[in-house]
Amino acid sequence: MPPLLEIRNISFAYEGSTALVFDRLNGSVQEGEFILVKGPSGTGKSTLLRLICRLNQPQGGSILFQGRDITSIAPAKLRSAVSYVAQIPQMIDASVKENLLLPFSFAINAAKPRPGTEELTEMLQKFYLPDLNLDQSAMKLSIGQKQRLALMRALLQKPLLLLLDEPTSALDHESASMVFSIMERLNTEERKTLITVTHLDYKPETVRPLTYTLAHRRLNRLL
Amino acid sequence: MNQIVTISTGQLLLALVFILIAQASSFIYHLGLNRDITIGTLRTFSQLFLMGYVLTFILKTSNPLLVMSVFMVMVVSAMFIIKGRVKEKQIPYIIPTFLTMLVSYMATAFFVSGLVIGMTPWWEPRYFIPAGGMVIGNSMSALAISLERLFRDMRQQKELVEMKLSLGADYREASLDIFRNAVSAGMIPSINAMMGVGLVFIPGMMSGQILAGTDPLIAVRYQIVVMLMLVGSTAVSSVVVMLIVRRRCFGSGEEVLLSPH
Repeated sequence: MPPLLEIRNISFAYEGSTALVFDRLNGSVQEGEFILVKGPSGTGKSTLLRLICRLNQPQGGSILFQGRDITSIAPAKLRSAVSYVAQIPQMIDASVKENLLLPFSFAINAAKPRPGTEELTEMLQKFYLPDLNLDQSAMKLSIGQKQRLALMRALLQKPLLLLLDEPTSALDHESASMVFSIMERLNTEERKTLITVTHLDYKPETVRPLTYTLAHRRLNRLL
Repeated sequence: MNQIVTISTGQLLLALVFILIAQASSFIYHLGLNRDITIGTLRTFSQLFLMGYVLTFILKTSNPLLVMSVFMVMVVSAMFIIKGRVKEKQIPYIIPTFLTMLVSYMATAFFVSGLVIGMTPWWEPRYFIPAGGMVIGNSMSALAISLERLFRDMRQQKELVEMKLSLGADYREASLDIFRNAVSAGMIPSINAMMGVGLVFIPGMMSGQILAGTDPLIAVRYQIVVMLMLVGSTAVSSVVVMLIVRRRCFGSGEEVLLSPH
């Protein structure tokens, strides 16, 4: 069985720059793992996640998902299986429900089972959003609420790998611990494979993640 | 009534009274426009007379190659004007825009001159060149507006587009709203022109025909053809250009290539 994700000798520099962010970076992720990538800002943590879901393209090397080079997978297909949640949650100007069901308006997810109102309401509870009304506007929510909704929305399309880009950076302490506890539960209870990048000194309570740091343009395993 | 009244050189110079009035206003109220008014007047005279001589020559010789060359020059000039207005450095949009303009304007001018008016040959310069000129002039502004809007929105809404991509949208789905807004922003002026025509303003072409002695009812028919032609050609060229340029805003992995300013 090939690993779920394999990164082989990736090199990357931003457009118009010769400075390499990654220089022949390697790594692999097995199904069910909880990967934590730490490091100060500016070391390319977000870029690493964006390369995995092809929001950026590397200059060299390759990334394999389930043993297949990601460039040979249709981008929409890849991204419905490898879901990326950005640092600043984005909502469309519509209700909470419409935002949650947004993935199902795209052709690639059309055949996937669409959650009903009951399932969504139940999920809101689990995501510490019990007071949220499905019909209220998503634009007026706090950033912490939006972040949890964005996580929920990404999960609804049942991805095989979840990429979380600094999911708590814009949140207060209380909201941040809610998001961390959701992440841990997703891994322990639902066996979701996660890669989370963070610059915070976060120590999970219920899982033992594989922790890496990004330094010198490579990934280094922390024991 | 059908007598065309020519304007003698003396009469033409008499019209300069209007310029004197404008110059006087600028002088009295220190508008600082005297130099521009002078240059504008000189350019009006020289550019239009030059065009008059060129058109006289083209109409006389009636050579299809010459007609097409004039048409080509008009499209190239329009492209330069668009390039001047749309300040986009990252995404190469000029060649697809130019080719779309060339093909769609040619088709429209052919349709109007050859089929609707029924001229033989279809490139008869007396109809083909003015029809082409109106289509190019009108649609050029529409394209500039649409392109500007497309690039601006793609930049401003990059995170929103990427959010949709991350949820499994293909590049078309992720940029559908931006595409729609860009196309309709370009088309709105020519649709508005259809609303106001005859009530708010008398279009230049129709006024010209009437002044030259054409029966207003005939002039009206021509004007209707022109209005419809402008809406149609604007729609076709905007949609085609937006489809091509939008694809160019995304890379091979359907990632957004535009970086925010």
